[in-house]
Amino acid sequence: MSRETLQESLSAVMDNEADEMELRRVLASAGSDEELRATWSRYQIARAVMHKELLEPRLDIAAAVSAALASEALPTQARSPWRMVSRVAVAASVTLAVLAGVRFYNQDELSATQLAQQDGQPELTLPQVQGPAVLAGYTEPAAPLQQSAEQAGSKWHEQRLPSYLRQHAQQGAATGVDSALPYARAASLENR
Amino acid sequence: MRVIPLVVLLGSCLAVPAQAAESWLQRLAQADRQSFQGTFIYERNGSFSTHGVWHRGGEEGVTERLLQLDGPEQEVLRVNGKPQCMSGVFAEQAIDAKWPARELDAKQLEQRYDLRVLGHSRVAGRAATVLALIPRDQHRYAFELHLDDETALPLKSLLISEKGQLLERFQFVNFEPVDQFAAADLQPSDACKSVNFTQLAELPASWQAGWVPPGFELDQALRRGSPSSEEQVACLLYGDGLARFTVFLEPLRGDVLAEDARSQLGPTAVVSRRMSTADGDMMVTVVGEIPLGTAERVALSMQTAATVESTAQ
Repeated sequence: MSRETLQESLSAVMDNEADEMELRRVLASAGSDEELRATWSRYQIARAVMHKELLEPRLDIAAAVSAALASEALPTQARSPWRMVSRVAVAASVTLAVLAGVRFYNQDELSATQLAQQDGQPELTLPQVQGPAVLAGYTEPAAPLQQSAEQAGSKWHEQRLPSYLRQHAQQGAATGVDSALPYARAASLENR
Repeated sequence: MRVIPLVVLLGSCLAVPAQAAESWLQRLAQADRQSFQGTFIYERNGSFSTHGVWHRGGEEGVTERLLQLDGPEQEVLRVNGKPQCMSGVFAEQAIDAKWPARELDAKQLEQRYDLRVLGHSRVAGRAATVLALIPRDQHRYAFELHLDDETALPLKSLLISEKGQLLERFQFVNFEPVDQFAAADLQPSDACKSVNFTQLAELPASWQAGWVPPGFELDQALRRGSPSSEEQVACLLYGDGLARFTVFLEPLRGDVLAEDARSQLGPTAVVSRRMSTADGDMMVTVVGEIPLGTAERVALSMQTAATVESTAQ
């Protein structure tokens, strides 16, 4: 079996789109194929980063999945396309911080993205600019944001945010210059 | 704000590259008059997709067909920016926005972004020049554009946060200028339904942002029916010539469950804040490709025109 086919199967497994044949093929090959296992592990890390879950990178996923498969078929569950839109309540102190300045934010995402960037994709960073890097000037240590647990029952947002996001994206697409980018943004909102 | 003097200093040292950057931007602004076809990828946190594009420029206007190549078949055909047909969910909520088709204005952008030519690269097998737009404040993101040397079209576009993290990637995999399109290339599939535009009324100046990041201007104020209730939603569209955000204001009518919320979908920040007004509570939602904290600050600053007047007195 060619490496491409195997890679494709692995991608399918990662995307939860693999049929049983593909899953078994990947699991069988992962047992003996060091390179495939490494790739899988990298995919897992990337996935974890995207979903903001941190996991032990050296965790042997193949073994765990094999065990699970042996006992029963994996259930597939319908996912709400907007599950990614996690809602986080804003603490009162945050409001004060906003008034003082905005650098406070996005700290929580930083570590995850740095991990992603280290993962064989150094080109993700801005190319070196001459002289002092201006972007680096922004990187000041800041207090981590206090995030409270996800809110339950925010039905209001579930009903409206998708439409708001769509509308915002479509209005961008009407601008003409470089219209493909807002289109792709809008399309990516529907893909989950 | 010790970043700005640094930028000014750098800017004066790099006057020549800035000029070059400006001429590249001017070329970019004209670039969509050319015809091309290609395949590109779009990647953001949690999403990766591939798309085909067929773009016919020329004197009589721009016709463009975009089709997602993996997953759901999402398609759009646009003539001079206006959608003619759309597939799937797109079609249900098409908006006939008269967003001013702003030309990229190098002079305007230069006030908010430091423009630089970073060097040369190769994208989709073609020689490209790397142009960086680095924000002069923390209220917008940096762009890295790889412009095709031949056509000045963006072959690759990266959005980078103030932390240097990549927020989204748009990148051609293959790209070729086209002299003459076959009719079939610009013919949408059957799944592409003609668009029923939601009629949008102009919004009376009832709402106003008390604060927006410098350089952002109100482009349009609209009113439309809420997607999930009988309420009218006010939409305020702001842009700085490159980055955009939209403010939505929807009455809550005693919905006590609706909470403040904020989230980040790749490059797009979403911040919702409850606000009390004389006419009852409103939910203010800011959606845009701006830092979350900036969106939050805009949301906090929204006020009724009446408030603005009384403060001014």
